[in-house]
Amino acid sequence: MAGFFGGSALKKARRALWSWLPWVIAIPFLMLIEQKLELNPDLGLEYVFQNINHIGIAIILAVSLNLVNGLTGQFSIGHAGFMAVGGYVSAVMLMRGPQEDPWRLFFILSILTGATAAAIAGWIVGKPSLRLRGDYLAIVTLGFGEIIRVIIENTPFFGGAIGLSPIPHRADFAWIWAVVIITIIIAKRLRDSTHGRAFLSVREDEVAAEAMGIDTTGYKVRAFVISAFFAGVAGALSGAFEGNLAPQSFTFVRSFEIVAMVVLGGMGSITGSTIAASVLTILPEYLRALANLRMVIYSVALIVLMLVRPRGLLGTTELWDYLKRWRPFQRQRGKREASEALIDVRHATIRFGGLTAVSDFSLEVKPRELVALIGPNGAGKTTVFNLLTGVYPPSDGSIIIMGRDTRGLQPHAIAHLGVARTFQNIRLFRELSAFDNVRIACHHLTRESMAAAVRHGELSGVEERWIGERADELLEVMGLSHRRDELAKNLPYGDQRRLEIARALATGPQVLLLDEPAAGTNQREKVELMELIRSIRDRFGVAVVLIEHDMKLVMGVSERILVLDHGVTIAHGLPREIQRNPKVIEAYLGEKYAREHFGGAPA
Amino acid sequence: MIELFQHIVDGVSLGAIYALIALGYTMVYGVLKLINFAHGDVFMLGAMIGWYASARWTSESASPSIFGSIWVTVLAMVFCGVIGFVIERLAYRPLRAAPKINSLITAIGVSFFLEYGGQYLFGPNPRAFGVLPHRPPLSLAGISIGYVDLVTILTSIVLMIVLQRIVFHTRMGIAMRAVSWNPSVAALMGVNIDLVISFTFVLGSVLAAVAGVLYASKYPSVHPLMGLMPGLKAFVAAVLGGIGNVPGAMLGGLLLGLAEQLVSGYTSSSWRDAVAFGILILILLIKPSGLLGRGEAEKV
Repeated sequence: MAGFFGGSALKKARRALWSWLPWVIAIPFLMLIEQKLELNPDLGLEYVFQNINHIGIAIILAVSLNLVNGLTGQFSIGHAGFMAVGGYVSAVMLMRGPQEDPWRLFFILSILTGATAAAIAGWIVGKPSLRLRGDYLAIVTLGFGEIIRVIIENTPFFGGAIGLSPIPHRADFAWIWAVVIITIIIAKRLRDSTHGRAFLSVREDEVAAEAMGIDTTGYKVRAFVISAFFAGVAGALSGAFEGNLAPQSFTFVRSFEIVAMVVLGGMGSITGSTIAASVLTILPEYLRALANLRMVIYSVALIVLMLVRPRGLLGTTELWDYLKRWRPFQRQRGKREASEALIDVRHATIRFGGLTAVSDFSLEVKPRELVALIGPNGAGKTTVFNLLTGVYPPSDGSIIIMGRDTRGLQPHAIAHLGVARTFQNIRLFRELSAFDNVRIACHHLTRESMAAAVRHGELSGVEERWIGERADELLEVMGLSHRRDELAKNLPYGDQRRLEIARALATGPQVLLLDEPAAGTNQREKVELMELIRSIRDRFGVAVVLIEHDMKLVMGVSERILVLDHGVTIAHGLPREIQRNPKVIEAYLGEKYAREHFGGAPA
Repeated sequence: MIELFQHIVDGVSLGAIYALIALGYTMVYGVLKLINFAHGDVFMLGAMIGWYASARWTSESASPSIFGSIWVTVLAMVFCGVIGFVIERLAYRPLRAAPKINSLITAIGVSFFLEYGGQYLFGPNPRAFGVLPHRPPLSLAGISIGYVDLVTILTSIVLMIVLQRIVFHTRMGIAMRAVSWNPSVAALMGVNIDLVISFTFVLGSVLAAVAGVLYASKYPSVHPLMGLMPGLKAFVAAVLGGIGNVPGAMLGGLLLGLAEQLVSGYTSSSWRDAVAFGILILILLIKPSGLLGRGEAEKV
């Protein structure tokens, strides 16, 4: 009986209720405000509400651009172009569609069509140009935005340079603000999900993100398309609210204004974008009394704000961060076993121009094995890691991971196969907490879709809890529990190194590649670290490939050693054999041995 | 055929102006890695100062003279040089250590400030501008070369030769190139970075002032928003040639001017803005480092 109508069904219903509640509650509330205040002629609030609605549209624009510029760290300044696409498509539909629209269903349809058109435009623009970075991306988006405007200006169908008018007035306070709430909720839920962390990881360090299994290009395009979609929504609302559209209002100056809102609010902060959008929309209105001087003051205010608060009003934090509660955690998870070789490199060679960095390199890594890769500076050790993780494709030879040829695979796809790495020059996501650094690496283990994250579906809840537990467990193993919520950049050096290992482990690897994990630590710490590496191997059942300068150190811990010099494998075998190998002593040990005995600093 | 040559002449003259502005963008980008969005408005200021100067000093004598116009141009150059210095000092220097996007927003703020400040002082409407004496256009085998175009091309050639000398054959020029290569290493070698950056801004602004006066003479009017489009297009020119690269900016400016003139000559002038941005997107997708730029790879 209980199974028929209780248990999970009830739970599901409750979750569904919670996930839809914010939207449902808000709408009658908004309609009430509209009926009682905006449409009440006695109060004379038309002008006030006009500003409030402008703020609403600005918030939609800023929050959506924040997804690209703030969260994902890509620099787009063509947002007005997407706004124009959405606005014009929906305006044409409204002007040519039915004049009676009692439930405004046709209006909704026109908004969605306009937004979809904008999203498609976003895809067309984003797909090729997101390969570029920083300033170049900024310029290309600016160029695209301007081209969209010029095309509209030269298309009689869209009213040419004069624009479209009159557009049926369908958007009012309740509509605009309902969309504002929807936009903010979607942005917040995306940000707090595994996808949000994927966006952030792209912003922080693309190479590290790929190594943690995140398809960076895919996420950039996604951020761009979603952002363009909402810009289209804002454009549609703006047209249906103002009653007209003119191409002159979609120049790059408009795009600049939106970028200013995002930067001023604090990159990545949704509440920050919201506040900044409100302030920057209201400011010129307040200054209206000063007539011609108002825009001069506005621009000075912009410069001064930027100089005084370079990180924006809220930095990267959110208002609701201050209300966040502590989450309790649990642990324990099973291990995996495998039998055949995990990594099988056969005669791999890589050349950079005329220089052969690594030649004829072969390596087989079996499950739970601990292999050390040693050699003097410039021997090509890190290049081997870059080959294994797909950062560079080999010029010759093959790399087989988990029985799969990795030729043509992106780094994130190789991470999915079960290879995780750390970096010699630590590449943490510096502006994120230790906890989030580890959580990002769980990204590819999640199955929840973006839509589910927005709906706050059941799976997303389960997964978020599981990721949290997993991250906490790994932080504890690496002795970092007390640093959980500190920003990675603020951790002491040794902790940063260990956090990188925790992050790599979080991807659920079968092979862990550690690139000089002991660099910069003293002799005692090095010995401790080697113990830790051994215990990680035992506990998580992973194979470990270790790069290390210090030969004495790896002798104790590793089962097999491979010696590289100038890209050539000069020796390969058990530690005991390596120690006696005359070639190694000559090329590597002799020099180093002498250096240590004559009092030089260890490398 | 004559029509084609006519377009080429007009294109070169327009391109020379773009090149002069683009040099400012590219030099500032070279030393600071900053897109100085306010540069187009410094160009506008140059034209505006020219207008004020000619209204005050030269209109008393009945017709504009060559000396008058040189005097006006020099005044605009000095003024813009000072403005460029002040902008860098007040708006960009405090943010040099901050993320690039912040300086970019500040640059946008400065740009707005100059435009709206200009509107406040100058009024939003265009005003007629005539500094150069009126001379009939030169006629060569059916192609007419306007007097303004001739002056523009000659002035630009002289300025570019001078600039080339400065950048490649003076101590300051060497210092500029060192800073653009690697500021911290340059500083370790004893280069005064602040001085070099200030100098770069002044140099770029001076060139923009000349471009402003020439542009205002070519389309004989001045207004506070005149810097927007030429500024953006000059920037496109800088990217086209390879941003940070001085000869690249000259080449990019010329190519852009030619392309724009040809497209607007043979199709419709309403598409001329799309040409610049179309070229920009193509070059960035095919060769993002520009025609003469050098690519950079990230070390893992």
